[in-house]
Amino acid sequence: MIVPLISLILLCPLAAFAIFGLLGLANRRFPRQDYLSTVAMLVALVCSFLLLREVVPTPEPHTVNWISLGGVTFSMGFYLDSVTVIMLIVVTLVSSLVHIFSMGYMHGDPRYPRFFAYLSLFSFSMLFLVVSDNLLGIYIGWELVGLCSYLLIGFWFEKDSAANACKKAFLTTRVGDVGMFIGMMMLFTKFDTLALYGEGGIFAQAAAQLSTADMVWLSIAGVLIFCGAIGKSAQMPLHTWLPDAMEGPTPVSALIHAATMVAAGVYLTARMFPILTETSSLVIAYVGGITALVAATIAIVRFDIKRVLAYSTISQLGYMMLAIGAGSYVAGLFHLTTHAFFKALLFLGSGSVIHAFHAMHAHGHDDEHAHAHSQDSHQPSAISSQQESGTSPDTSLLTTESRQPTAIPEIPPDQDMRNMGGLRHKMPITFVTMLIATLSISGVPFIFSGFWSKDAILGGVLGRAMEWNSVHHYILFIMALSAAGITAFYMFRLIFMTFFGEPRNQEMHDMAHESPKSMTVPLLILAALSLPVVNILWFNETYVKPPPQPHLHAPQHAYVSPDSNTGGKGYTVSLFGVSEAAAAEENGGHDTHGAHGDDGHHGHGPAHMIAMVLSICVAGLGIFFSWLFYHRRTLSAESVATTFRPVYNLFWHKYYFDEFYDGVLVALTVWKARLFAQFDGSVVDGIVNGVGVVTRDILAAFVGLFDNHVVDGLVNRVAQVTWAVGGRIRRIQTGAIQTYLFVVLAGIVLLILIFRAL
Amino acid sequence: MTLQHYLVISAILFTLGIFAVLTRRNAISILMGIELILNSCNLNFAAFSRFMTPPEDISGQIIAIFGIVLAAAEAAVFLAIILAIYREFGSIRPDEVDTLKG
Amino acid sequence: MEFTLKNFIFYGFALMTVGSALLVVTVRNIVHAAFSLMVTLFGVAGLYVFLQADFLAATQVIVYVGGILVLILFGVMMTSGRLEMRIHIERGQLLLGGIVSLALLMLLLTVIANTPAWKNLTDDGTELPPTTERIGELILNGPFLLPFEVVSVLLLVALIGAALISRKEVRD
Repeated sequence: MIVPLISLILLCPLAAFAIFGLLGLANRRFPRQDYLSTVAMLVALVCSFLLLREVVPTPEPHTVNWISLGGVTFSMGFYLDSVTVIMLIVVTLVSSLVHIFSMGYMHGDPRYPRFFAYLSLFSFSMLFLVVSDNLLGIYIGWELVGLCSYLLIGFWFEKDSAANACKKAFLTTRVGDVGMFIGMMMLFTKFDTLALYGEGGIFAQAAAQLSTADMVWLSIAGVLIFCGAIGKSAQMPLHTWLPDAMEGPTPVSALIHAATMVAAGVYLTARMFPILTETSSLVIAYVGGITALVAATIAIVRFDIKRVLAYSTISQLGYMMLAIGAGSYVAGLFHLTTHAFFKALLFLGSGSVIHAFHAMHAHGHDDEHAHAHSQDSHQPSAISSQQESGTSPDTSLLTTESRQPTAIPEIPPDQDMRNMGGLRHKMPITFVTMLIATLSISGVPFIFSGFWSKDAILGGVLGRAMEWNSVHHYILFIMALSAAGITAFYMFRLIFMTFFGEPRNQEMHDMAHESPKSMTVPLLILAALSLPVVNILWFNETYVKPPPQPHLHAPQHAYVSPDSNTGGKGYTVSLFGVSEAAAAEENGGHDTHGAHGDDGHHGHGPAHMIAMVLSICVAGLGIFFSWLFYHRRTLSAESVATTFRPVYNLFWHKYYFDEFYDGVLVALTVWKARLFAQFDGSVVDGIVNGVGVVTRDILAAFVGLFDNHVVDGLVNRVAQVTWAVGGRIRRIQTGAIQTYLFVVLAGIVLLILIFRAL
Repeated sequence: MTLQHYLVISAILFTLGIFAVLTRRNAISILMGIELILNSCNLNFAAFSRFMTPPEDISGQIIAIFGIVLAAAEAAVFLAIILAIYREFGSIRPDEVDTLKG
Repeated sequence: MEFTLKNFIFYGFALMTVGSALLVVTVRNIVHAAFSLMVTLFGVAGLYVFLQADFLAATQVIVYVGGILVLILFGVMMTSGRLEMRIHIERGQLLLGGIVSLALLMLLLTVIANTPAWKNLTDDGTELPPTTERIGELILNGPFLLPFEVVSVLLLVALIGAALISRKEVRD
């Protein structure tokens, strides 16, 4: 049943896209592309749920040979383990909801059918990536996902900003992809295969063959493959494309940020888990930790509701990377799923808010609704021009010297939180669902899924730190903890600015309204999924097990907690009766390669308790300060910003990453291009021109002389003779019939006379 | 009235027709000359038919009739061409219509 | 050669024919020339009568005088625009043409006079039966059927062609 079901999951969205594409070639359209795509996605969703029962503890890949090149055979196939099936469910579920949401949000867009076709292709690509059992298939899906994100981010390509954003996303992720490709090639040259699982797969071979001497090599390969994930999952320093990707339609943002594109990076890193070494793990963990902290701080000062969420996504992805890097495989993937739902909810909720504000722009000309989508962003209304250029409360004192147009893109008025406020009465469903998502992402305890996954990460990191007695992991834990607090702060800032307080822009506020059912129903479903129902999947010990990491060795000074094996199973036991510690234990039993204490899941007991308490405190602090700043207004954000002006500037300018790229990388490229242009202009052109001059002035001169005198002379002489002869002869040809007749008759008379005379 | 009477008349008509074709500078005059020539031919046919063949054989007359028909056809086409030329060049003098002349 | 009425009429017709033909080629006014031609054609028709070719004579009058001549007159009027159109004649051309024509005439007359087979063929004046019926037989039910049909088609083609050529060009 596995292969048919997976095939069906893949073929449904692909068929929806293919129908659009094939009919498009014939210049026709399927009348209801939206239904077609949505139904295809729902079928895939049902199949994904059916697959839940098919998972076996030690899955085998289902492969077929694809192409043979010079003795090497590339196979294509499916690999279905618990992680795969959970990813399938997440992707199809979020994608289905995004499809349904888009029916309302994108209604009236001139390219409405095309949008759904792209969504189908996007979903197909991601599903293909998820089920592939080999790096080649993953890479194909990986690039398809990149292509689709390009198409969808630039869906409103009439806007320059959207066109630039999609190019930026495509090129930035490509930087990482190069690294990934090199990493793949390193593995390929070593193992002669790109298959990951099974007898001859990379993991099996790596576990069997590699010695400690190969660890440097393997670390490099792992980090290089992780480069792909850095690009796709928008980790530092390749994160800059993701905020710009907000130029796409909001459902696309939801899909990219929640389920497909950025999740691909985390998923890839998780798939590579068995070959991660100590070094590469640490690199991944640090990249993730830094990303989590930096992105969170940037999010504090953003005013564009979608960009706050974008930086929040980057930050949360950092968490996942940190978790995987710190060995908390299950926690990372757990956070990926919970994040998928609440972040999709946040994006769709923000889309609902934006949609409500769109109504004002589209008012009176509903048929041009879609035009309003694409136009209002580059037609700054009176509101936006007044709001722009930093006249906001927070930045009014900082604008003069700090604002740079390249660094701070203009905020569309309908996405600007400074135009919002008090919307909770206008849009109750949106408000409640977004509040649930915010509570979830902020880590409010116990009844929200985000708390559990985030806590699992924090606990995992702290556990690893305590277990290994590793300074690195303590630092990482502090980073993650601060990021958690900041997350709570800026997420509640968003909620307070948007839904509480007095309306800041009365005109827009009056026009706002609750969104249609096709948009609110997905919100409600996602809100339900942000409660810890999905956790069931993750705390079933037979379901998700971290794969062994034979190449990860604890440092010599690792301190193994004496009570690690006995100290209970952590908080999860009390709630669900199972824990990932238990799963890890079972796993460790048959892991012969792992050194002592190689899986970081022992010793979670005290670590988790500490982490939980700390994270609750930090989240509470974040929410409390947010409340003080943005609701009670006891503290003034302006005064704080003024006091810590350099820090504020740093955040406001997003750590100057874009400036750095513009100023250094772009400038370097331009400088290099100029250099080459100069080289071209002087040396290459000089040679070419020199050859040209020689040819022209010397060779051509001789040939020219010969041509002019010999050849032309001959031709001209012939022509002259012909001309002269013709000039004489043509006198005879008067063209007068009578003359001809006269000559003829005279001739006849003469002839007869002659013959008679004879 | 011998055959030679008719032949002489025919010869004179023929010569006059030739003279007109040779000397006239007007397409219609040339057409008239041609008609004279055709008439002389027809007259010859009729005369030979009368004097050189048995009385019941009148093939010569029939040939003459065909000749008249041809003359009619020729005249019709000739005049159509003249009209077309006149419309194009504003003249029917053959020496003025010399577009094809090199 | 006795001088009978018949002879007189014959010579009258002959003179009329030759004389009017002379006018056709010499007269400067093209309209006059056309009318002279009409006289010539009548004369030839008369000569046909003398040859006992009654059908031919009738055809000559009907087709030539009634058809071709009217056509020529139309042509004259449509191209000249006025009735007295002078025919331009060059003297040199006239001289050369005259010489050649005269030479030709001399040649023809010599041939006529010196051909033995053509000598002494006199019209005995016997009445021959009317030719119309026999011509009809020969044309429609005899050896001339095919030429007749061919000529019919030729005439049709010529008429259609003439109409096509002479009509004003319609540019679409």
